[in-house]
Amino acid sequence: MSERSSRIASVVLALVGVGITGYMLVTRATGATLSCSSGGCETVQSSPYSEVFGVPVAALGLGACAFVLGAALAKGEIARLTGAVVALAAFAFSLYLLVVQVIVIDALCDWCLATDAVTTALAALALLRLRAAARFAACSDPGRVRVTAWERP
Amino acid sequence: MTARRVLLVLIGAAALSVGLIATSQLGARDRDEAPSARATHSSLAGIPQQGNVLGDPDAPVTLVEYADLQCPYCAEWAVRTFPVLVDNYVRTGKLRVVFHGLAFIGADSDVALRTALAAGRDGRFWDVVAGFYLRQGAENAGWVTDEVVDGVLADVGLNRDRVRKARDEPWVSSELRTAQAAADGAGVHGTPSFQLGRTGGPLELLHLTSLGPEGMTPAIDALLRP
Repeated sequence: MSERSSRIASVVLALVGVGITGYMLVTRATGATLSCSSGGCETVQSSPYSEVFGVPVAALGLGACAFVLGAALAKGEIARLTGAVVALAAFAFSLYLLVVQVIVIDALCDWCLATDAVTTALAALALLRLRAAARFAACSDPGRVRVTAWERP
Repeated sequence: MTARRVLLVLIGAAALSVGLIATSQLGARDRDEAPSARATHSSLAGIPQQGNVLGDPDAPVTLVEYADLQCPYCAEWAVRTFPVLVDNYVRTGKLRVVFHGLAFIGADSDVALRTALAAGRDGRFWDVVAGFYLRQGAENAGWVTDEVVDGVLADVGLNRDRVRKARDEPWVSSELRTAQAAADGAGVHGTPSFQLGRTGGPLELLHLTSLGPEGMTPAIDALLRP
């Protein structure tokens, strides 16, 4: 996958993530009930793990998706690096929250699982973007190619 | 893109996620330790209470709640919807809430309700009701023990001997009879039941479709419209 393709896919997925986390945040703020097929959404949302020192986890997810969206739209190494840091951290944190849902809370929230899927895909795309950029750097730097060739057995 | 930069990305992501996870664990532990007292006081702090009436006496809309402190659906409504009403309507002076406690489930209902009514003399009726809901046990399992009562009263800073003594006084029994008569008059056959209307005007029995806020807020909003 080229860097351009991974950026386009990241933009689409990050927008989906913004939509999901935005819905969760608005629902929480207005006191409405999440549309939920598993019935575990309210249990998870009212658990002590739904906030990190007063900040709703959905707000953190919204912030992460918005950041990754911005990084995917921007060009350059800084955008690639910071986007990857946030996407990978979001993936690790969502993995932790999934473990908490299964082991501690004993309930699963549909919207949290959807967010987990989005963050997992965003983390994979961030890694692909880094890899694509590394390949491009190798091709555009003759000295680097030579060094690589010399190191081959 | 060098291997060193990829390593920096991984280290940055690991540091960020470990920080978030540690913060989440600490926050969850803090809230697990004292959820009841903190939740109760933060939601009702600063709101006027006159016995079983919560909110501004001049609020344009009145909600009357009929509930038994042992009723699990009443507890669910109290946890899911009541805080939303308090924050959005009571605290803003739009709604006053009257609680008519019923004790039809059993002895635990009676003891808990008498304790709440006695605490009402000190302006803590609603705090005590919330405290019992948060500690609610199985119906008629004998969960309203002296220890539970003392815990509820300690959370709201009331003298347990004074409240325990007051709950057997004739005026408390009179309040219980008044609540039962109000329920009979309203045609209440189960809990939780609610009447809603403009303050001073006729009240209508609500037919809830949900125990969540969405089951009640549209009716309140309709009454608040000019």
